[in-house]
Amino acid sequence: MKALPVPLRVLMAACCLVPAAVGADSGDTPRFVPVEIHLDSPQPVAAWQFELGDRNGAMKVVGIERGGIHAFSDAPYYDREAVAEGDADRIIVADYTLAGESHLPRGRMRLATLHLMLEGGADFELRLVTATTSDGQAIDASIALQIPEERTR
Amino acid sequence: MNAHTRFASFTAMLLIGVALLNSCTVGPEPDSHAASQPPTAAQSRGTSQPISVPRSRAASLPPSPAPSGLHALSSAIVTADSNTDPDIEPLAEDEELWIIARGTSAGHSPGSMGAPRMARAESALGFAGGASVLGVRRSMERARAEYATAEPMRDREPDMDPGTGAMMADLPVEGAPGKTRYVPLPLQHTAVDASIDGHVGTVKVRQQFENPFDTKIEAVYVFPLPERAAVSEFLMVIRNRTIRGIVREKEEAEAIYHQARAQGYRASLLVQRRPNIFEQKVANIEPGRGIDVDVTYFHTLRYRDGWYSFVFPMVVGPRYNPPGHADPVGAVPRGGRTEAPDGTAVEYLAPDERSGHDIGIRVRIDAGVNIEEIRSSHEITTARDRPGTAGVTLAQGTTIPNRDFVLDFRVAGRTIKSNLLTHTDAETGDGFFTLMLIPPLDTAAVARRPMEMVFVVDCSGSMDGRPLEQAKEAVASALDRLEPTDTFQIIRFSDRASRFGRAPVPATVENVAAARKYLSELDADGGTQMIEGIRGALDFPHSRTHFRFVSFLTDGYIGNESEILAAVHRRVGASRIFSFGVGNSVNRYLMERMAKAGRGVAAYLGFEDSAEDVMGAFFDRVSRPALTDIEIDWGGMRVSETYPAKLPDLFVGRPLVVTGKYRGRPREIAVSGTAGDSRRTLTASAHPDSETGRSIAKVWARSKIADLADRQIAGGDPDGELRDAITRVALRHQLASSYTSFVAVDSSHRTEGSHGITVHQAVPVPEGVRYDTTVRDRGEDAHSED
Repeated sequence: MKALPVPLRVLMAACCLVPAAVGADSGDTPRFVPVEIHLDSPQPVAAWQFELGDRNGAMKVVGIERGGIHAFSDAPYYDREAVAEGDADRIIVADYTLAGESHLPRGRMRLATLHLMLEGGADFELRLVTATTSDGQAIDASIALQIPEERTR
Repeated sequence: MNAHTRFASFTAMLLIGVALLNSCTVGPEPDSHAASQPPTAAQSRGTSQPISVPRSRAASLPPSPAPSGLHALSSAIVTADSNTDPDIEPLAEDEELWIIARGTSAGHSPGSMGAPRMARAESALGFAGGASVLGVRRSMERARAEYATAEPMRDREPDMDPGTGAMMADLPVEGAPGKTRYVPLPLQHTAVDASIDGHVGTVKVRQQFENPFDTKIEAVYVFPLPERAAVSEFLMVIRNRTIRGIVREKEEAEAIYHQARAQGYRASLLVQRRPNIFEQKVANIEPGRGIDVDVTYFHTLRYRDGWYSFVFPMVVGPRYNPPGHADPVGAVPRGGRTEAPDGTAVEYLAPDERSGHDIGIRVRIDAGVNIEEIRSSHEITTARDRPGTAGVTLAQGTTIPNRDFVLDFRVAGRTIKSNLLTHTDAETGDGFFTLMLIPPLDTAAVARRPMEMVFVVDCSGSMDGRPLEQAKEAVASALDRLEPTDTFQIIRFSDRASRFGRAPVPATVENVAAARKYLSELDADGGTQMIEGIRGALDFPHSRTHFRFVSFLTDGYIGNESEILAAVHRRVGASRIFSFGVGNSVNRYLMERMAKAGRGVAAYLGFEDSAEDVMGAFFDRVSRPALTDIEIDWGGMRVSETYPAKLPDLFVGRPLVVTGKYRGRPREIAVSGTAGDSRRTLTASAHPDSETGRSIAKVWARSKIADLADRQIAGGDPDGELRDAITRVALRHQLASSYTSFVAVDSSHRTEGSHGITVHQAVPVPEGVRYDTTVRDRGEDAHSED
């Protein structure tokens, strides 16, 4: 196992911007980085939406993977316009479930993993657009970004 | 309104910009390969010692729980072994390596294991030199299933292609005497799950790739999809993880994929090579491991004379590429890809070769009206619970994927009416619609005009045998239906074209008899220079007194479709073009686009069909257009961007499907046209925001892309404006196209070493097509052009 050789800072905030940076490697070779998006919710979550951007324009989304929540069983959907337009990627990802109340997750949970290709250093900007209960009430939740260590077989 | 309903409504508004209600997405599975069919151990190719393992599907051996030949090695053993041999990847804590073997001894001596992998496994099981290992799998269920179909070894295969340590095996094919060699290929299984709602089909295709070699591979598979498929979803499934792919401009997607592949990441790429030919690449599949790819598409079903038709093509036919063609679809023998010219190449199995690839198909039909009859090109099982619904499954058994799966269902006789389906996009507020317009039967009573029938018969090598016989029978049948006031011509083409008469001749008894003799002497050989047939059929003066029909009878196995379609656009004039696809795996894209360019329709003549019946029904219809000069009053809808832009004639029993965008309130629309000497008006009622919802926008986008591509073909695109327009539509609607591709990368794991060897998935030639006159000869032609 080797750690990602980049500085990384992750800030957490409730329903607001979460900036984080990934420095550039030496050389011009693009790097592939998984970015995990975590939500911390005091209430059961039935729907969520977040937006991830990169101020440096180094980010390209190359895959979207579902998190570890049974109630959200599919790979989440993304806003095609956000990816298709602009010089750099910005992505809006969302999902919802009609699972019963007892199956809805609460506490800290991984919403999704975004697979990114970085061409240079990234300065991420993560924003929780919304998290709601099954009756549509907004939740005072916080969102965080985490880059796991790379695993090599 | 209950809480869930309120929430669903709320969420739909809340999550603007996100396509939430995708019912086609596949949830993860604990082990995506566990339920698939046993793979076929097969011939090796690569760098180390191969092992021969014959087996048969016909045997009946106890499947479990403890057959004497099925052994489990603990993960500790393999992990320890991998410390000294990087060839074996470590197993996860919860994984076991299952070795499927036949023999009387079950000696379990891991210490004796040595490279290569298969020999090591054999040795570990105490079958030194016995070549009794049938496979190595990480799934016990899969190993058991494979073991259950095994039978004792009979002989050894020679070392055909020294390689990777993968297995060779021998499976006799039912009804085929002699030996059949099975080759190891990564595509194990294709699972098709289709849902039909009215005339719109939603189809999910899962391709299960697995690496049967002992080194990393990149799998490449060229496969067909329906010509009208709007490919809109792409998922890469690695065990219980599902990664949604992103659609990007083709060059960008390819660059991402190549970077990921080079750096050792598992990645997949879906590229459209033709509107009905796609190329799937899956990089860095580790030995013994699998990666699945899910592709979802929408399309509209064909409707003819009361029958809806769902088609799933299984194999790309071997294409002929005229010398100098810039973007060929080559046909090469297995292993010949690297020697083929640029472009796309399909590798074909020799007649005595089989791969373990099999296919499963499930179709759920909700016709909206009673289903009266179901028929299929393949053996199926059918379950009916309500009059308007049905579940159809391709019957179990060895299905060689070498011909189209065609499922026809007939709906209640007079109940199908013209209808208008609409849908409003929650993101943009754009309205989309599809209009299916079906002329009533009484419009068939229209006076018949004298006809000038031109039959253009493909006599190239791929038509040799049954295809040409079917084409001849169809033409002969049509000749019998001509009246003396009609005229006709027959043109044959392969490398060059020739014709029956210098000019169209009256359909007298004598001329028809002479034409029959001419037909009987036609044989098939050479290339498919269809351009010669186009010229011969369209480059002569048009009779003012006759309605000219040009009927092409061909399998369409060409790689230069664009050139042919451009020639049709330039030359068609007042002629109507009708294309007959002859065979069981024809190039339907070419058939449909030729017919569209010529304001006609396409029909298909399979090997099991009666040429007389098909041509007869077709002839009766097209000789009497039900409505011409069609105009539509859209009522309260403000309509834009409708496709087809130019409305064709309407024939009885053959609907016209129009798709477009709208604003305003959908109500009843009125369609008027000329029937004989009078004007007739039909009406269609609107069904707002139908269940097919999201698919309507995709179908519209696919139609728009097809229209833009037609304009490219017809008029060129010197400034790239049409290319840009296609790209914008495809990105906006997340569709694969000529200029957009799907890519997915798993950045969580980086595999070790280089990306390994590239293995092209070889496929069987289509049923009824001769390997020696298409693949072998054309492959040699291709090589000689290099």
